Amino acid sequence: MNVDRVQVESLVPLAIYFLLVLGVVGVMLAIPRFVAQRRRSQARDEPFESGILSVGDTHLHLGVHFWPIAIFFVIFDLEAIFIFAWAVAVREVGWPGYLEMLVFVSVLLAALVYLWKLGALDWRTRRQQLQDSLLSERG
Amino acid sequence: MSAAAIGSAELTALLPIVTLGTTAVVVLLWIAFRRNHAEAVWLTLGGLSATLLALAPAAGTGPRDVTGLLRIDGYALFFIALFCLAAIIVVLLARDYLRERAEQPEEFYLLLLTSLLGASVLAASTHFASFFLGLETLSISLFPLIAYATRDARALEAATKYLVLSGVASGFLLFGMALVYAETGSLAFGGTAPAATAVLQAGAVLILVGVGFKLSFFPFHLWTADVYQGAPAPVTALLATVSKGAVFAVLLRYGVDAPLARLPMSETVLGTLAGASMLIGNLAALAQHNLKRLLAYSSIAHMGYLLLAVIAMQRIGPALAAETLGFYLAAYTLTTLAAFGVMTAMSPADREAEEIGDYAGLFWTRPAIALLLTLSLLSLAGIPLTAGFIGKFYLFIAASHAALWPLLGLFVVGSGLGLYYYLRVIFRMAASVGEGTAPGPSGALQVSLGTEAALAFLGLSIAVLGLLPASLIDFLAAEALR
Repeated sequence: MNVDRVQVESLVPLAIYFLLVLGVVGVMLAIPRFVAQRRRSQARDEPFESGILSVGDTHLHLGVHFWPIAIFFVIFDLEAIFIFAWAVAVREVGWPGYLEMLVFVSVLLAALVYLWKLGALDWRTRRQQLQDSLLSERG
Repeated sequence: MSAAAIGSAELTALLPIVTLGTTAVVVLLWIAFRRNHAEAVWLTLGGLSATLLALAPAAGTGPRDVTGLLRIDGYALFFIALFCLAAIIVVLLARDYLRERAEQPEEFYLLLLTSLLGASVLAASTHFASFFLGLETLSISLFPLIAYATRDARALEAATKYLVLSGVASGFLLFGMALVYAETGSLAFGGTAPAATAVLQAGAVLILVGVGFKLSFFPFHLWTADVYQGAPAPVTALLATVSKGAVFAVLLRYGVDAPLARLPMSETVLGTLAGASMLIGNLAALAQHNLKRLLAYSSIAHMGYLLLAVIAMQRIGPALAAETLGFYLAAYTLTTLAAFGVMTAMSPADREAEEIGDYAGLFWTRPAIALLLTLSLLSLAGIPLTAGFIGKFYLFIAASHAALWPLLGLFVVGSGLGLYYYLRVIFRMAASVGEGTAPGPSGALQVSLGTEAALAFLGLSIAVLGLLPASLIDFLAAEALR
């Protein structure tokens, strides 16, 4: 209980700091409301893109190729993290640790084989795949 | 917790879980090289049978703590066996269901195996790390399973809902675990704190909130009906039995192991959750015209009933509580599987027979299936000579030994309400053929021998457990929570 009280008291500067941040941000947002001029014209209402005119619709259809990349990243990244943790203690855990790591890596390897066979490593878009297969049929 | 602590005895104890994991990897590689529905089914069934066989040597090693994360004892092995059995039945049901509907049905079995792996880890966990790991393995496998029919907008909606709410619940759970760890300095369930500080109590409540989401207790139940309705019928069966059973198994283990769960506050909180779930679940089920939604709301009520066993545990001791939980969950699992099995067998290829109207006059068109659904609904209602009755009787004894009178009153009221809506379905099935729109044998799915065998087994075991419960009771009394 005593420890709790000391912690709460030491938090007071942080709370003051937080309130000050809120105050400063509030003042900064409020100043233009009172000081700034308000004019409207066509050019003024456009979004500012460093001098480049914004063109077209923002609702673009993007390919979801980033999705398998994200999954691969997670697989390899996690693998690396666990191998790092194992590397630190490699002498202490000895052969049993090596076996456990072997099992872990081979399970991930099985997942990679599965994804490979599924065609997740084929980076071409569907249209490119179609074109390639048509080309190979002709020639 | 050095790696050297794993010897051959520990490996033998872990054999069921290792077998499940190996089966999942083998099925994964098999699918990669040979995509074939029947082979995937047979591999999965083989792996599940091997897991059931591996339970015997694991039981031989006696109750054993493995690496401080898991405890393999009679309690854990009983639940692993129950989940494997449920999974075998789900595989048999899914085989017919997916043949007509899914373009790539093979991954279904892979996800089923990983969800089962998570459930088994949960049943054996005695540590927050294995608790969370098991829960996430289970939940993450369930998201794609719920959305397996990706062309169905409702399935996608259900999966998204489950994903978001599960994520929120996991957040609560983790925060609760962190607070408890901050006070006790241990992630094992048995960690003790010098005093019941506010932080510790907040942690316990946050853990309960997380678990409450997964078990759909009253204030956290809103996802249940939509997810049950949107998911494919075999997946709903899995969700209702394995997923909830596993979380209940770990909840009771936590209640037994952790001194924390014995704070007077947690009894009040659990009691409120249980009472409200019984009442709200049953009242909401009264208004349903959709059998899936009806079963969803009735599952909320059943989870409320089951919570009685966990609350009573502090007064009647862990052995009787584990026995009660084991029997009730076994009965509930078989019964729910039978209900969703009938639904799967009744569904034509383009939709699911989920409206109660679909079952009108079923006694005249398909008497065997109607009899099974009747048996299952009577068992859910707790009518004598069914497994559900013995389960409720157990809960009644446990609650009255523990002198939980207000909750017992709600239990009786809830069971009375339940009888009304279960019987409504049965009356509808007995209505004459002309007025209903039963799909009949021609419109319904072609049912294979596997599904028929699974359904016959379920009907038989519900009746046997109701008529001769002594076999399971003796086993539970000998094995439960050693």
